[in-house]
Amino acid sequence: MFDSRNRALALTIVRRTVSTLITLLGVAIIVFVILRLLPGDAITASLGVNAGLLSPAQHAALVHFYGLGKPPVQQFFSWLGASFSGNLGVSLSAQQPVSTLIDQAAPVTLELSIVSLVLGLLIGVGFGMIGALKPGKVGDEVGQGIAVVGLGVPVFVLGTALVTFLSSHFHYFPSSEPYASLFSDPWLNIQQIFFPSLVLSIGIGAAIMRTTRAAVLEVSSQNFVRTARGKGIKARVVTWRHLFRNALVPIVTMSGIQLGYLLGGTVIVEQIFILPGLGRLLVTAINERDFPVVQSITMLFATAFVLVNLGVDVICALIDPRSRGR
Amino acid sequence: MAITGPDPLTAARPDQPVAKTRRLRLSGGGFWAALWASRSGKFGIVLVGITLLGALVSILGLAPYDPQHQDLAANLAAPSSDHWLGTDNFGRDLFSLVLEGIVVSLEIAVLATLIAGVFGSLGGIAAGYLGGTTSTLIMRASDILFAIPAILLALAIVTALGPGILDSALAIGIGWIPIFVRVVRAPVLSLRNADFVRAGQVLGFSRRRVLFRHILPSVYGVIAVQTSLALAWAILAEASLSFLGLGPPPPTASLGQMVSDSSSLAGIAWWTLAAPSLAIIIAVVGFNYLGDGLRDAADPRSRRS
Repeated sequence: MFDSRNRALALTIVRRTVSTLITLLGVAIIVFVILRLLPGDAITASLGVNAGLLSPAQHAALVHFYGLGKPPVQQFFSWLGASFSGNLGVSLSAQQPVSTLIDQAAPVTLELSIVSLVLGLLIGVGFGMIGALKPGKVGDEVGQGIAVVGLGVPVFVLGTALVTFLSSHFHYFPSSEPYASLFSDPWLNIQQIFFPSLVLSIGIGAAIMRTTRAAVLEVSSQNFVRTARGKGIKARVVTWRHLFRNALVPIVTMSGIQLGYLLGGTVIVEQIFILPGLGRLLVTAINERDFPVVQSITMLFATAFVLVNLGVDVICALIDPRSRGR
Repeated sequence: MAITGPDPLTAARPDQPVAKTRRLRLSGGGFWAALWASRSGKFGIVLVGITLLGALVSILGLAPYDPQHQDLAANLAAPSSDHWLGTDNFGRDLFSLVLEGIVVSLEIAVLATLIAGVFGSLGGIAAGYLGGTTSTLIMRASDILFAIPAILLALAIVTALGPGILDSALAIGIGWIPIFVRVVRAPVLSLRNADFVRAGQVLGFSRRRVLFRHILPSVYGVIAVQTSLALAWAILAEASLSFLGLGPPPPTASLGQMVSDSSSLAGIAWWTLAAPSLAIIIAVVGFNYLGDGLRDAADPRSRRS
């Protein structure tokens, strides 16, 4: 069965998917241009100033080895093709395949991101709803206070302050022990992930809170809400079925946008809390000018961000028919 | 072409502005009073004022100490009347060092905002005013740039260019271009079809005159708001980069670097963390509030609420 509603939905999804693919191709081009075509190439990157000491023959051999002699367009497509088959190149400093390094680091960042997003949603939607239902009351004030901290204090300040506080007042620093995966030592893993997630979630939570509060307040002034209350529907049902559901589109959209900040934030908290995730790998790679690693991680983060926002658009189209076809 | 509403000939006369299009005005009509009257505006002016004053003091050489002077006898001194914000582990006066950090931070932020503002606004105006293929291409490119989280884009560019003041500015600025494109394009697009703009076209005004005299004046407000928000973001991004050790190398003073250095000291000397953090927070929050205040003040609709 394919009635017009479903067709509109399917059309929206197809159109957004196609434009997402085009965007991803564009992202790949930008990342390639920044890291391959700007000053310096893989040879100077791996050898530094010693590159000047190469004999012409050695230089030519290396140019051939890195495929630098080919035209940029061909280089781009061979990189893209190799990436699709899982060959991300070899790390210049670690002398290991980039895919191995990423396989080791990705679960840490994934866990960190998911826990942060969940905590952020709890803080944001929770206090946002409390604030919108009883504006100006204690709960609202507490929420606004958290929002001021979350929006005003940079992640790295919050993280550094938390680490200092924990270690100097409680002599507690979970990351002083080597990182434990969720499966090898769940209890230590939770301790190691919780504090950095908390730091990240306050910033995300603040943004989601402001969106939730504003969206719910706006919905609550509409006629159908008054009608629902007037009909004698229970307050709790009005809150979730009428208010929250109709405020959901901006909340979901904001959560998707926050993922971009979250990915940037993981780079910083992984540094502070010494977690061996993608962010830490990225910073190490930047310092060592390890281009293949930087390129792969940037591409991976951008892909994740773009795909999540595709997911957000699909979810919004499912929640609210009005946002279809936009 | 059917024209409804007021007579297009009188509507186009500058002495009788009949246009009802939402305009963000930056001057006259009690703009500054409106900015000061809004809570965000007042807060923003005060905080940005403190930041600019701090930078000015440092530029004029009025800081109490030479920021790079090491007085090892007085290392890690707590805040006192001698050292208002205490000293670091080399005995450098943190107040003077923070002021110098603000100057560097503003330098990079202003350059980055200039890059984003100029390219983004031009792109937005072109996309909005010209329409057609140009618009499609610009918006597509802007969407692609927008798809890479800005701080990651900055990290990638810094990797390629290396750390330096101009390099950092470029790395930070490029990420903010698509935001300018979006916010500038929207009002240009809606004004292009406004009655007073069409009237100007009917009167045979040149495209340039219509663009500069009729459309752009209404866009300056949007650009000003976005400039303030971009400055806030750029200061934050610069501090984040230098916190990660990817900012301009020492001896350039850097607030993010100071926060990073403090991580091993803050347990015994909290002021080494508090001093640079406070400066960053005041500047970032200040420019954010100023942006909100400008929006409130420049838009009569939100002024009422």
